[in-house]
Amino acid sequence: MKLDVRGEICPYPMSKAVDALGTLPEGEALEVLTDHPPALETIPFYVVRLGYRCVVEEDGPGQWRIRITRADSSDPS
Amino acid sequence: MTSPSDDSAARPLRAAVVAGGALAAAAGVAAVLPRADPRAGLFWLLGLGVGVVLQRSRLCFASAFRDLFLFGHGRIMRAVLAGLAVATVGFAVLMSRMVPQPALGGVAPEAHAIPLGVHVVVGGLLFGVGMVVAGGCASGSLYRIGEGYIASVVALVGILVGLAAGAHTWNAWWRASIGRGVVVWLPLLGGYGAAVAATLALLAAGYLSVVWWETRRGVAVPEAPRPVLGRTFRARVAGALDVTLVRGWPAVVGGVALGAFNVLLYVAHMPLGVTGELSRWSMGLMTLVGWSPGALHGTDRLAACALVAPGGPLVTHTLTLNVGIVAGSMAAALAAGEFRVRWPRQARRYVQALGGGVLMGYGATLAMGCTLGAFFSAIPSLALNGWVFAAALAAGAWLGVQVIKRIP
Repeated sequence: MKLDVRGEICPYPMSKAVDALGTLPEGEALEVLTDHPPALETIPFYVVRLGYRCVVEEDGPGQWRIRITRADSSDPS
Repeated sequence: MTSPSDDSAARPLRAAVVAGGALAAAAGVAAVLPRADPRAGLFWLLGLGVGVVLQRSRLCFASAFRDLFLFGHGRIMRAVLAGLAVATVGFAVLMSRMVPQPALGGVAPEAHAIPLGVHVVVGGLLFGVGMVVAGGCASGSLYRIGEGYIASVVALVGILVGLAAGAHTWNAWWRASIGRGVVVWLPLLGGYGAAVAATLALLAAGYLSVVWWETRRGVAVPEAPRPVLGRTFRARVAGALDVTLVRGWPAVVGGVALGAFNVLLYVAHMPLGVTGELSRWSMGLMTLVGWSPGALHGTDRLAACALVAPGGPLVTHTLTLNVGIVAGSMAAALAAGEFRVRWPRQARRYVQALGGGVLMGYGATLAMGCTLGAFFSAIPSLALNGWVFAAALAAGAWLGVQVIKRIP
């Protein structure tokens, strides 16, 4: 599942990501596309608490992909 | 996380080149600043430092308050409290040198101690709602402009409009509340020792409350581990550059650094604040369009970031401080590869930025400062108004969270 929150600033990238995790089908990963650097600190910090893990990848200048998977899934990312 | 190889060293080294170029440019600007205000160059450099600290650590005062209520965590608030403790000790040393005996000398010069009254509470509430709705406070808007956020430019316009509205209603507030208020400066009550001890104890109590609140709302997670340095000289240098220039700093590093910068600014002249200068812009623009608010009662006698009358030279040290914050943030964002012109995609975000900005500008008029001048500089000034503003700011942020929960 992909979520494009480019152009959004705090707290929207995080609150929209958390809402999307609520509707994420079992076994799927959520990919958040953001251009808001603070989200690189807030989203990983928060989703770990909810039982997820995540990887941040750069996607061009000032733009990142945050890939979120369930901590107990076998997805290696 | 792997250790930086030769490949991953390229990025931090490129960041160092950008940072070096920015430093050279900053020194060039300092050299050509007019000599009318001898502090302009120093404040330009200190402003750059503050901008770098805010950008690197994403030290956003709006999120410090908002995230406690919205997400139940206080990562940034704990960093702010740590910075307040640093500044409290530094300010106390400096103030005790300027006014060794408070009972005889009165309030220390430039300390952010202002008359207490309902205006501080109303100002804090409005500012708290505004910063959450706009997505950043006054200093937050300045450093985000440096990162390329168009919404923050809109918020700054809103702040100027709010300051203008504040100026036009100032005299009524002066008669009703500000002019009747009493300044409560803690060293006058019990000396510096007791004032510092009480302030640090309150900050510690605040820190414990945040930790208790986080624990109650779920398990607090430690900050993400930093990457391991490689073994070669090149890899170790690249690793050090990576954590300084490319990756975001831990929030607490930013908080403590901002507290230290605040002490340096006070040593140089005055504690950190941005709204006094913004009010000078707002008043200057009003004078230009023939909508001047006229004479304002008492503003020349008030401390902190009270409204500043227009006039005098254009380039002052307060101007270079504010412009320095924007430029420092821009340099840090460029070095990290985080600079990008960002346009909000939804029209309502512009309305939020403008409306939130107006609330902040009006609130900052009444409270004589923003999250910096009325809070981050007022509590270390050992002034009771800092604590009253903080409580109102927290209540306002809670109200603001209720508002943004209803704006998708």
